Amino acid sequence: MPTDRQNRDVGGMVIAAIFILTGALALWDTLEYVDADSYVFPRTVAGAMVVFCIVLIAWSLVRPVAAAPRRSESTPRRVGLVSAMLGAALLMPYTGFLISGLLAFGAIAWLAMYDPWTRGRLIIYPLVGSAIVLGFYFLFHKVLLVPLPAGKLLSV
Amino acid sequence: MDSLGYLFAALTPYHVALALGGVVAGTVVGSLPGLTATMAVAVLIPVTFSMEPASALILMGAIYTGAIYGGAYAAILLNTPGTPSAIATTFDGYPMAKRGDGDLAITLACIASVCGGLVGALFLLSLAPPLANVALAFGPVEYFWLAMLGLTLISALSQGNLLKGLIGASFGLLLSCIGVAEISADVRLTFGSQTLLGGIEVVSALIGLYCVPVLIDLVATPDRHLKVEAASRGFRLHEALQSSWQGKVNLARSSVIGTLVGILPGAGGSIAGLVAYAEARRSSKKPERFGCGEPDGVQATESANNATVGGGFIPTLVLGIPGTPPDAVILGALLIQGVRTGPNLFTEHGSIVYVFIWGLLIATLLMLPAGMLIGRYAYRSIVTVPKAMLVPTVAFMTLIGTYAIRNSISDVVIMIVLGVLGWILGRFGFSVSPVVLGLILGSIAEQGFVQGWIIGAAAENLWGEFFGRPIALGIVAFILLSLFSPLLLNRLRLKRELASAD
Repeated sequence: MPTDRQNRDVGGMVIAAIFILTGALALWDTLEYVDADSYVFPRTVAGAMVVFCIVLIAWSLVRPVAAAPRRSESTPRRVGLVSAMLGAALLMPYTGFLISGLLAFGAIAWLAMYDPWTRGRLIIYPLVGSAIVLGFYFLFHKVLLVPLPAGKLLSV
Repeated sequence: MDSLGYLFAALTPYHVALALGGVVAGTVVGSLPGLTATMAVAVLIPVTFSMEPASALILMGAIYTGAIYGGAYAAILLNTPGTPSAIATTFDGYPMAKRGDGDLAITLACIASVCGGLVGALFLLSLAPPLANVALAFGPVEYFWLAMLGLTLISALSQGNLLKGLIGASFGLLLSCIGVAEISADVRLTFGSQTLLGGIEVVSALIGLYCVPVLIDLVATPDRHLKVEAASRGFRLHEALQSSWQGKVNLARSSVIGTLVGILPGAGGSIAGLVAYAEARRSSKKPERFGCGEPDGVQATESANNATVGGGFIPTLVLGIPGTPPDAVILGALLIQGVRTGPNLFTEHGSIVYVFIWGLLIATLLMLPAGMLIGRYAYRSIVTVPKAMLVPTVAFMTLIGTYAIRNSISDVVIMIVLGVLGWILGRFGFSVSPVVLGLILGSIAEQGFVQGWIIGAAAENLWGEFFGRPIALGIVAFILLSLFSPLLLNRLRLKRELASAD
């Protein structure tokens, strides 16, 4: 049988504590501003946020909540997705938008694949993926004239 | 030329083709996260230089109205508002799609958008000059309180936990302060980071906070993104029309709310959608269904945000004050064409203004067939595309869409980091909607707060400045109502239940 402690919103309290730290950091940062126009708003907002967080923690201590159901989900795939997206962003200046986009698309497609890689899929998916990336690249770079990074490595 | 003459001038094949092309282009652009109505209108400005002013206005107005509607697709199918106006559409649109009613939600959104667009355009046609004075009655303090109203509404509505909503809204307001301060040029909250110096771009933050958490969850399980129905059910137009007829009061009320909020420069579709949504829930006989896939929620938001198009044109054309960012772009295009906006525009340039308004009405009507066709295609694509193609396509669109806003890799990195933050917050019951709205309304709130504070301090009447003006007091009353009415209603309900149990 779950106890009150197990049912308390511990996660919410931890997040509130992090927000208190964030608010304190913001308040500390406002001490350096020269003009009152610059500090009056962030100082008020940070103060309000800290107060709301303290009330939330106090409220969570006295009021238990229903425990969240456990779910079976793949954390490595989640980390992989974020890493692939961040990697593409950080690679952009070096390999250019097109190559980093193709690499990210391929990596994320591999991560999101739960069905077996049949021969047909191995041929069709890369072709469709490349067409999507090239299509969007053409739309943004050639039609909308967005200066997408060309890549230092390729321009040498 | 009389009113009928203006209508016939707007009904020429050339103008109808412009209206249809504009609506289709706007809908497609608005449905892609990262491509906003402002961007769509701005990109097409050079095309309009060779056109007559009325034709140019019809094209730009059609793109604008189509883009606002297009924002609903991503909101319903991906839980990612294509434009900030569609934030509240996610509350009920996505749950509808999750349970297999995405096609119905899209048709409902289309009908509601057309109703809202027509009401906004009719207000523009008939009541523009007197309504423009409403915008002038709003001072800095009123704008501050209006922003606060938007934030309290979303805090109370988004996920049921008011305190967590208020914390999220405060965090969003703090995020909006990051970067170089507009007036004093103080560098704020960057902690020495060059990446944060340019501040947090609103649309890229919106993409990150809404879209990345969906992708993170999609990639983690083998389940399908949305429930798939075995048999095709068409547009479900009959069902949608029936639901719209039953919710006609909701549609009319939300459209008027959207028009009135649209008149206020800077407020825009995001506040309009939220106010209409809150009002729809408050007056509903089944408020507990809101947030779980209630069609009335989708109708309220979509009619309100499309009504802001006509409403936003009122201060733009009558006062020369753009109601929304796309209005500002359109105003610029008009000035290039040599058309000076102002109170005399309706009398001196009636042939331009009235032809444009009729053109906007025609474009809004054309949105019904065009929007439903595009919506059906979007729904089928999202439902049938294998996950291994859907996830990387959406991820790639977030990367390219975010980069294109300011041509900045920093924005892409911030978008991904905010997305991870949004996912973590969501796991612990903090909705991302208040954070996003805090970020959107931060500049309006800060400007109003600082100006009110300066005026109040100079007059040595700070309290009177913030709480002594009638409109401000009215908005404060709404804020208190939105904050405490759920608590009071809950208490009353519990008392009633206890009494009946005894």
